[in-house]
Amino acid sequence: MTPDRFRAIVDAYGADARHWPAGERAAALAWADAHQDEAHALLRASAQLDAWLATDAPPQPDAALTRRIIASAPAWAPAPRGLVSRGVAARSPRARVWWSGAALIGAGLAGVLAGAFVVSFALLAGGPPHGTTPATASDAPSLATSFDGTTADWSGE
Amino acid sequence: MNDAERDPDAASDVASDVPSEADPDAALLARVARAEPAAVRALVARKLPRLLALATRMLGDRMEAEDIAQEAFVRIWKHAPRWREGEARFDTWLHRVALNLCYDRLRASRDEPVDELPDSVDPGPLPDARLEAHARDANVRAALAALPARQREAIVLQYYQELSNLDAAAVMGITVEALESLLSRARRNLRASLAAAPASMPASPAQPAAPHLPNTRPRTSDDT
Repeated sequence: MTPDRFRAIVDAYGADARHWPAGERAAALAWADAHQDEAHALLRASAQLDAWLATDAPPQPDAALTRRIIASAPAWAPAPRGLVSRGVAARSPRARVWWSGAALIGAGLAGVLAGAFVVSFALLAGGPPHGTTPATASDAPSLATSFDGTTADWSGE
Repeated sequence: MNDAERDPDAASDVASDVPSEADPDAALLARVARAEPAAVRALVARKLPRLLALATRMLGDRMEAEDIAQEAFVRIWKHAPRWREGEARFDTWLHRVALNLCYDRLRASRDEPVDELPDSVDPGPLPDARLEAHARDANVRAALAALPARQREAIVLQYYQELSNLDAAAVMGITVEALESLLSRARRNLRASLAAAPASMPASPAQPAAPHLPNTRPRTSDDT
């Protein structure tokens, strides 16, 4: 540590050794110990400036600002349990989306099948009793659709 | 592309910022990346006061500083899932982001004519002690505002934010030698402001350097 370097450190970083470069702090302190008069003169002016700067109290964030910032964070979405392992959900958000989509499609298909079954059952239950089942669909108007072939050929008209 | 959108890690090319120990924010950031509410609250509590202090001293305007802080946190939420420990300290990256946002504001305000004075809240009568403190704060803020922007940035990072010289130089994208030059000039200018505002000086002790040397030893981290 030279006098010039000690002066440069104090000029740049001030009188508080906690702000001095870590790699030079011990050497600078040792130099100050060995040259107290010189060090005292250099530190005196810097300490006064440090004290003046320290009078500027840092602004404190208010509760409203804190709330706004916390609210701006992405929402937490825990992985659904029972449908997919936590590991998969935690590893990949895309996997969560895939599993959710598959679940929706499955639910949709189940609904369609259930609906078809109910309709079929209702229609069959409302048909003629056993033993009188018509031979053809055209003989059972309740089962005919617009796509069915019809036996009426309008030839008589 | 504005400053805030540039890669803050580029500063590491000038002053090496490879952390010699684990990043103290890394674990919390990993939890923030998973959007854990408690981690989000903890990170806001840890970083918001520092961000607000930095932006207020750089811009001299509390409301603008709040905008900067909010915007900086939006960047955090965006980058947290991609954060990788070992490239740069999170705190260094965050300071660079906030400073870039501040410079965007400073440029914009320089380009826009000021039509009228900003509204200010009438503080009402203050007790003498608070008046004195208010005057001291105002004098220091005015002296900081009068500094060239790079000198102000250097003194805010080194003195108020208490970054190490390596970290401050990395944030500013300069060498440690260049940082020391900026700091020396900043302190010289501030000393001139201090001399011009004697009423705002703190009471001068009979032995001002006494706490700093043995019998008059400078303070070190071991002292705290």
